[in-house]
Formats: sequence, C-alpha cells, structure tokens
Amino acid sequence: MPLQFHWQIPTRGDGRYGNAQPVRRGERTPGQGSPYSPGVTDPRGDRFNFFDHVHQVARATELSGFDAAVVRHDVAGDESWIVAGYVARGTRRLKLITEFEASWGSSVYAAKNAVSFSRFTGGRFGWQLVPGAGAATRLLWGDPLEEGDVLPRIAEFLTVSRGVIAGSPFSFKGRFFEVKDGGFTGSLGDHAAPTVFLVGESEAALSLSAEHADVHVFEASSLSALRGHIHSLRVLAKRHGREVKAAVRVDVLGRETESEALFDANRYAAQSGNQNAPRTTAGLWTGLGTDVTGAAATLVGSYTQVAQRLSEYVEAGVEVFQLAGVPHLEEAFRVGAHILPLVRERAKSSVSQPASPRTLS
Amino acid sequence: MSIDVFWRLPTHGEPAEVRSAVPYRGDEFPGLEAHWYSYIDYLAEIAHAAEISGFQGGLIPSFPMTDEPWVISSVLARETKTFRFMIPFQPGFLNPVTAARMTASLQRATRGRALYNVITGGGGPSQLWWGDATGHDDRYGRTTEFLDVVRGVWKGGPFTYEGKFYKTKDAGLPHPLSEEEFPEIYFSGSSDAALTSASKHADFYLTWLEPFAALLEKFGRVREKTAAAGRQIRCAVRVDIIARPTEEEAWREIERGFNGVEKSALERFLKAPQPGDSVGANRQRAGRPQVVNGYKDLIIEPNVWSGFNLLRGGQTQGIVGSYENVAERLDDLVKLGADAFILASTPHLEEAYRVGEEVLPLVRGHEASTLKAVG
Repeated sequence: MPLQFHWQIPTRGDGRYGNAQPVRRGERTPGQGSPYSPGVTDPRGDRFNFFDHVHQVARATELSGFDAAVVRHDVAGDESWIVAGYVARGTRRLKLITEFEASWGSSVYAAKNAVSFSRFTGGRFGWQLVPGAGAATRLLWGDPLEEGDVLPRIAEFLTVSRGVIAGSPFSFKGRFFEVKDGGFTGSLGDHAAPTVFLVGESEAALSLSAEHADVHVFEASSLSALRGHIHSLRVLAKRHGREVKAAVRVDVLGRETESEALFDANRYAAQSGNQNAPRTTAGLWTGLGTDVTGAAATLVGSYTQVAQRLSEYVEAGVEVFQLAGVPHLEEAFRVGAHILPLVRERAKSSVSQPASPRTLS
Repeated sequence: MSIDVFWRLPTHGEPAEVRSAVPYRGDEFPGLEAHWYSYIDYLAEIAHAAEISGFQGGLIPSFPMTDEPWVISSVLARETKTFRFMIPFQPGFLNPVTAARMTASLQRATRGRALYNVITGGGGPSQLWWGDATGHDDRYGRTTEFLDVVRGVWKGGPFTYEGKFYKTKDAGLPHPLSEEEFPEIYFSGSSDAALTSASKHADFYLTWLEPFAALLEKFGRVREKTAAAGRQIRCAVRVDIIARPTEEEAWREIERGFNGVEKSALERFLKAPQPGDSVGANRQRAGRPQVVNGYKDLIIEPNVWSGFNLLRGGQTQGIVGSYENVAERLDDLVKLGADAFILASTPHLEEAYRVGEEVLPLVRGHEASTLKAVG
C-alpha cells in the first residue's frame, strides 16, 4: 500500500507565514472598497469570493501530487459538505474528505448525500467524523449533547449509514438514530460506503476506531508516543478482526534551509499573537499553528529535515499524512515539489526491508 | 409583480419521452462508461438549458431513490450563472444550525441562488425509512421550530432557543456567512398543521395542480391564514405540461402513452387511496372518474389531464395542449392567485428549450388580469 498524502482545504480563510493575519482571499470585506488607491483601476468588483480561492486550492492540491483533500470542519467558516461539492467537478482524481460532526443531521440523510457525492465523483468521497469542541460549543451550535455521548453517537451514525448503504431492508433502533426497513436500492444501490477517518488520542477514541474507522488520524507527537498509540490501535482493532490504518495530522513549514524555516516560524509566532510561546522538540513545534489550520503541531525545518521526520513516522507505522500549511495554495506546491518526493522515495527503498520489531516494542 | 417560472431537474431519471418509464439519460444511457460520466453530467445539461431558456432555476426533487439536492446544488454551483437551486428537504433531517451554515455557504458559492422547498413528509412507514420517528402534526411543529432557529441564527445572533425539538444558546452564523440573503421559502403541505406552519415562515405556498375551483379555495385559505398571522404570502403551482405546436399533437402524446399502460397498472391507479397521511395526494385524487375506457375520460377540465402518474411517478394532473392553450391555462391559474410556477416536461432538456422559446413568451402573468380589469 503506497503512502497517502492529504492536504487541507481551509474554510475560514487563509494565512501567510510572512503575515499571520487571516484573510479570505478573493473576498472583499463588505462595505470596504478596493484595496488599491483611486489612482489604480481595480477590475474585480465583487465578482469573486473565498469560494473562488478554495477552488484554486483544490486544484493546487491535485496538481502538486496529493492524493486527497480534507475539507476542514470549522464552525467559524464555510460548511464543509458545500465546499466539497463546490470543488468536486473542478478536480479529477483527488479524493474529497469532508470533515464534520455527527450532529450534522440524520445518519440516513448523510448516507444518502454521500452516495450522491460518490456517484458524481466516481467514488472520490470520504468522511472524517470529529467530536467537536466540548459541550458548551455544541450547545452554541444547536447540539445539546453530553460529553460522554459524543463517541457513542458517532458509532451509531456510522452503523446506520453503512447499513443503509449496504442494502435493503435495514432496520436499527439506537439511542440517537432509528430507521425501519431502510436501505438504498436502484441507482443508489451497490455503492461503496465512504472511507471513514476518525480522530482522537483517548482510549475511547481508539476503541471507536478499532470497530468503525478505516483510518485513525493522530495529532503529531513524539515518535515514542505515536508508536504507543499505533500499537494500542492495532491491538484493539485485532479484537474486532479488523485492521485500521494510522494517519498523522501535522502542519509543515519547510524551506530550503533550516534557518529560513526558523525565521518564518518565529515571525509567524510573533504575528499570530499566541499567548503561549511555541515549544519545540526536534523540529516539532506545538503552539505555532492557529485556528486557520487547527493542527496541534507543526514540523519546521529544511525540506530534508521535514522529509526525514515524516519518514520516521512512516517507519513507526504511519501510512497516511494529513498535512497543511499557510497559505494553502503556495505551500501545497512547495510541499508537493520539495518534500513529498523525498518521503515517497525513502518509503519505496525501505519496502524490501523487514519491519523493524522495535516499532511494536 | 411579475411571476417567477422555474423548471425541474429530473432526479428520478429521464426517459427519452414522457410515455416511457425507462430511464435513458445520464449514467443510464446504454453503452456509456459510468466510469467517466454520471447522472450529474446530464443534470448539468438541463440546468444550463433552463438558465439559457429563461427559467429562474429548478426544483431538485428528493425521493428515496434519487440523488440529493444539497449535493447537486453545490456540485453545479460553479458552472451555472443564473440557475437558482430550489432544494426540497425535510427539516427533521438536518440540525437547524448546520442547515443555516450549509445554506449560507451555498449562497456564497452561488452568489445568492439557493432557495428552500420545505416539505414535512408523507409520513407512515416511509418516514422511518428516512430515519424519522416523529408523527404527522408533531412534524409540522418541528418544521416551525426548525425555521425559527434557521432565521434566528441567520444574521449572526446571538440566538437562544428552548423549543420542544431544538435548543441553542447564543448561536449565530459567523461573519461573513451572516451577510447573505435569507433564502426564499417555498412551502409544501396541504393539511391544517401545514398551513399554520406556512403562515409563519413561507414566502410562497407551493401546491400541486388541483381542480381549478379547489385551488381557488385553497389559495384563499392560505392567504387568510397568513393574513391572520400578520404576513403576506404568494402562491405557486407545480405542474407537468405537454405543449406542442397544435393541440392534436399534444393529445396524441397522451393517447400513445395511455394506450401503452398495462391493465393492472390502470386498476391500481383507480383504487382507493394508499395508506400514508399525505393530504395533498388525496386532494389530487378527488374528482377522478370511477370508470376509464380511454384517455379522454381523464380530461377533468379543459386541457387538464388527470392520468400523468399512469405514465410516470409523481403527481396526477397536468396541462396538455398547444403552446397557446398551455399559456392560457397558466394565465388562468395566475388569475386564480398563482404568482409562480414550477413546470416540468419530459425529456427535460429539449422541453426546457421548447417551453422557454414557445410557451413562456405567450404567458402574460398579472399583466393579463390588469388589462382585463381596465378593459
């Protein structure tokens, strides 16, 4: 199985390592005129908005050799399903992974929408179900759910979705979802369920993935911590007779030289006004990323250094990377040109070697 | 005010002509490699045909076996220019705040071309197929609450709500989603519970074609109920048409179709209502003859044929005639109180051009009634 590289599609705007101020590229702030002086003609009017830029990012993701785009779920931004649909016909082979919460709506309705997506894109559709940001935030978004019910609801959501996609009749009565004699037939029958990505570091999250996920996405952490997580995931999945791939989500800030990367990282930290100074361990910075990408950590270094760190993750058992960087368009091309080839090459040359036993110790 | 005319995207599949039930377009086209094309490619053609031919946009029906309108709308957003996406959905299927965010994003993606057709469901076993266990009148209560929340959060909030079905605390759409226009709401449903909900939230009350006298009465009831709620409402009719250069040619289409209908299908058609609690379906059935020997027995008033669902699924009544006949009957409906139409005819691609080019230029809308009043 070759490595998979995903890139993020931003939904609340984008940033820049030279100017951390978030901006919805392509979009004019309502009530504000052109940023140009009256002495310069601005031909744009209000003909463009952030969606035009998002489309560019999706194209860039495909052109720079990524396998999939993850459309970020961000309650302060545009809705991820709509964004995924918007870029669907402008891309050809890119997988579109929509990140959302199980509060989205009925699981049957979600499954039915997913089948349409799949039909319209030749099966290029995936789901990344995330728990969301705590009970208070959920209530803010019309979802009064106890913290302890979040993962059980995701489990039911997936059971029902997969059930109705698999065929008819399907019935289920749970605490959150109910369906009787459901299931898709006709044009909507015989479609594969979306590939399911789940997230989280807790024991409960790993147990959920063991039973329900195709891929489990970890936030980047130290190699030893990650090895432990992957080991637990495999043990739990085996109890269900399943295999679940491990993914790592991490932002990347790669430059030709390490000093350039450090300069950009420090400037970004200063500009973005994070209260806590970023902490760094062997090129992995925590606290540098912002809400624009939402990742917990950023790999900072020269192209070779970043590729080296990603390759170490591969050796620890990671098969999928969910990467991001700001601005998403320029950094997609940069990462695609300078970093991915190094990681892919190294993975290919180590394929013949037996798996190192220490990865499981 | 001028009337709005919409077309329809046939999500249920497209036969080559109205008298055939076998889908023959899009990914159903024999020999077409589904790997390269899918039904969305054909729907895109129809959407372009509708916008080129002067329709506002189209209704994108949602049934258990069809693709979903939210997906179709977002996927076609970028390649259409003026086509307005009318999205039917049952409020219970989405979290209202999520729905508000989806809608605002779709408004941003289309530059304001999204609108709702709020439906509240036929009920019975089919409702649980969708994963919805709420009963009929309760569902209208839920629809009202749902739209309360979508409106409440729309301009950014903070909106706090304690309903029977929905709760929010300080909810609101983020900027700049909160800058978008609220979508127009076309509201379907014929029961009293439906009309109560419509009177609070709908811009247009949308009905299938019914006998003209019944429509007049219905529009009156809707307007009365809405006025009592201190609001104004407009009315819209969803109707299939067969328009040809001459009336004879139009009826010949019906005759051929009717002659191809199996006897057993005709018997089923004439039977009593099926279980389920859709009031609208039962209203359409009213006034139908008990004995049918030929297609002419199903002509229930001039240029209105009451056997369309013998030829294909969906509503019963439709308008059949020459271009002039059809335009006149549409103007008659305007006089009864219609302010908007959703028209459809099979195949939707070619017929969008035909109706746009031949029928719509003959429709006078409210201008006709104004002139008559003066003259």
